[in-house]
Amino acid sequence: MKKILALLLALTMVFSLGAAAFAEEEVDVSGLKVGVFWYAFSDPFLSTVRASLNEQLEEAGIAYDDFDANNTQATQLEQVQTAVTNGYNVLVVNLVTSGSADAAEQILQAAGDLPVIFFNRAVEGDGEEHTVLDEHENISFIGTDAPEAGHMQGKMIGEFLVENYDDIDLNKDGSISYAMFMGDAANVEAIYRTQYGVEDANAVLAENDKPELVYFNESNTDKYQLDPNGAWSNAAAFDFMSTNLAEYSEGNGNMIELVIANNDDMALGAIAALQAAGYNMGDGESTKIPVFGVDATQVAQDAIAADQMTGTVKQDNVGMASAITGTLKGIAAGDAMADAVAAVAESDDMFSVAEGFANKLYVAYAPFTGE
Amino acid sequence: MNGYLKRKTEEYRSLDSADKRRYWIDGLLNNALYILMAAFIIFTAVVNSNFLSASAIANVLTLAAASLPMALGIGGCIVLTGTDLSGGRVFGLAAAMSAAFLQNRAATKLIFEHLPNTTGPWIIAVLALVMLAGAVIGLVNGFFVAKFSLHPFIVTLATQLITYGVILMFFQINGNGGGPISNVAKLFKDAVSGPVIRIESKNVAIPWYVVYAFALVLIMWFVWNKTTFGKNMFAVGSNPEAARVSGVNVFRTTVTVHTLAGALYGFAGFVEAARLGSITASTGLNNECDAIAACVIGGVSFVGGTGNIGGIVVGVFVLRIIFVALNMLGINPNLQFIIKGGIILAACSLDMRKYLARK
Repeated sequence: MKKILALLLALTMVFSLGAAAFAEEEVDVSGLKVGVFWYAFSDPFLSTVRASLNEQLEEAGIAYDDFDANNTQATQLEQVQTAVTNGYNVLVVNLVTSGSADAAEQILQAAGDLPVIFFNRAVEGDGEEHTVLDEHENISFIGTDAPEAGHMQGKMIGEFLVENYDDIDLNKDGSISYAMFMGDAANVEAIYRTQYGVEDANAVLAENDKPELVYFNESNTDKYQLDPNGAWSNAAAFDFMSTNLAEYSEGNGNMIELVIANNDDMALGAIAALQAAGYNMGDGESTKIPVFGVDATQVAQDAIAADQMTGTVKQDNVGMASAITGTLKGIAAGDAMADAVAAVAESDDMFSVAEGFANKLYVAYAPFTGE
Repeated sequence: MNGYLKRKTEEYRSLDSADKRRYWIDGLLNNALYILMAAFIIFTAVVNSNFLSASAIANVLTLAAASLPMALGIGGCIVLTGTDLSGGRVFGLAAAMSAAFLQNRAATKLIFEHLPNTTGPWIIAVLALVMLAGAVIGLVNGFFVAKFSLHPFIVTLATQLITYGVILMFFQINGNGGGPISNVAKLFKDAVSGPVIRIESKNVAIPWYVVYAFALVLIMWFVWNKTTFGKNMFAVGSNPEAARVSGVNVFRTTVTVHTLAGALYGFAGFVEAARLGSITASTGLNNECDAIAACVIGGVSFVGGTGNIGGIVVGVFVLRIIFVALNMLGINPNLQFIIKGGIILAACSLDMRKYLARK
C-alpha cells in the first residue's frame, strides 16, 4: 500500500514538476485533485468562505471536492482517510477540534506525505505552538491569529465606551455592566474572544481613568453564558438574553448596558431579545444598548447600518479563500510549502507570515462599525 | 365533589396503619416531580426574589410558548411507543423557509427575488406552506413506520439526515452561500413576536405567539380527547394488535399522528423565524431532544398509550423553569446538563414505577 502510494506521489510530483517547467506564466493545475474538509457546512461564516473558495477554484480550473464533517472530528478523520485512498493529492483541512494538536497529527498521519493546508481553525492550542507546524515539511496553516479578534473587539469596545461613557451608563452608577455570550467552550477562538473582549476593553478604560466593566450577574462567576450545543447560535443567545432582561431592566436600575458576543449570530440573537423588550429598534427613539460581535456577516453589517448593532470585527472570507487558492497554485507549480506561503504573503497587505514560523499565514482582521 | 372527598376520607379511615403509610408514600412518590419543582421554585425565589417578579414569569411563559408546539407534536409519536428524531431539522427547514418567504423586500440579500410584498394573506399562505412542508415529511415518516413496520427511531433518523441535506441546499439558493437568512418583514414580526400585552412599568411584554401556543394547546387537547382519531391513537399506542382487531385503522392512525406532528414542527419553525429574525442552517439542532424530554417529564410514557396534553404543558414548563432558575441562580452551565439529565431520569423512573406497581 505504502509503495503504491509512494509511486503515485512520485508520479504526481514528476508530472507537476514537468508541467511547471513547461508553463511559462500560467501554472498548470490539472494535476491537482483537492479535497476540502469543512468542520460544518452549517457554519454561516465558513459557508461564505466556502462560496468564495469554490468560485476561485473553479475559475482557476482546480479540481476539488468539499466534504462536511458535520462537527465531528472522527467523521473528518474518516473522510480524510477515504480521500487519500481515492486519489486526492492535496488536502485542505478545516479542523473540527480547533486548537487540538493531537487531532491535527491524526489527520497528518492519515495524509501520509500529501501536502496539507490547514485553515481557519487552529491546529496548535495555547502552549503547543510549533509542536505541529514545525514538525512537518509539507503542511501549512492559513487563518487568523486566534487572539487577534478578541483583542480587536476589546479595543473597539473600550474606545467606544470612553467616547460615549455617560450615555451608556444608563443608571449613572459610574460603571458599565455587560453580558457576554460564548459560542463554544472548547474553541480557542471563543476562549480568547471571551477573555480579551473584556480585558482589552478594561485596559482602554483604565487608560482613561474609568472603572472596569462589571459582569451584570454577580452570582455567575464564569462571567459568560455559553451555548450549550457549542454551536455559537443566535437561539441560545436569545434565550439567555430574554431571561436576563426579565430580571435586569431600566426600571429596576440594573439594566445590562453592554453586550459582547463571540460572533455575530449570537450578537443578533441578543438583539432580537432586546427588541422584544423594546430596545435597539433602530428607530432613533428606543434606547440602544451597544452590541458587539465578530465576523461582520452581511446580516450584522445590515444591523449596524440599521442602527441596531454597534460593532463587529471583519473576518475576510474572500481573503481567506484567495490565500488558500494562491497556496494551491504554488503547490501546483512545484514550490515548497513555505515558499508558496511566502509568495501569498507577498501578494497582499492583509496577509502576513506569523512570527517564528515559515508555514503559518495570517489573514488580518479589521474592526467594522459601518463607517 | 363533596361526596367524592367524603368517600375518599372513608376509604382512608378503613385502611390499617401499614396501608396508611403506603398511601402516603405512594402519594409522595407519584407526585414527587411536582413536590420537587415546588421546592425548587421556592428555593430559587428565596435566593433571588426576582424569580417570581411579573417580568420573570412572563419570560418563562414566553420561552415555554416557543417550545410548546414542537412538544405537542412529538407527544403523539411517543404515545404510539415511537419517537421522532427528525423534529429539530423539520423545525429548522420550516424556520428557514418562513424567513426566506417573508423577508423584508428592501433587504440587501434576498433569497427569492420575485415575491409579493408581505401582507396578512401572504403571511398566512407562508404559514400554510411551511406547515404543509412539515406535514409532508411527517407523512413520509408515518408511511414508512406503518407500511414496513420500521421502528420510528430508524425512519426518523433517516428523514432527519435527508431534511438536513435539504436545509443545506436551501441555504445555497440565489448565491446565499450558506449565510444566515435574515431581515424578515416587520409585519411578520409584529404579527408573531410583537407584543399582545405590554406593561412598560413592570417590564412585561407577552408576544402574540404565546396566544397561538395557548390556542394550539386547546386544539390538541380537543384532538387527543374528543375525537375518534385521538381515541384511536391511544388504542394503537397501548396495543396495536388489539386495536386492529377492534376495527381501528392502524395504518391511517400512525400516518396521521406523524403528519400532524410534522405540521406542528412547521408551525414552531414559523414562530422561530419571527422570534429570532435570523435563521442559520443549524437552527433547530437538537430541538427534538428537549421536546422528547418535556413529554416524558410530563408523563407521556414510552410504554405507549398513556399521556395527556396537560402533562406535556407541565413538562415544557418544568424544563423552561429549570433553565431560567439555574440562570438566575448563576449556576455553572455544566451543572445544568447534569440537573436536566437527573430530572429526566427521576421523572421517567417514577413514571414507570406506577406501571410496575399496577402489575
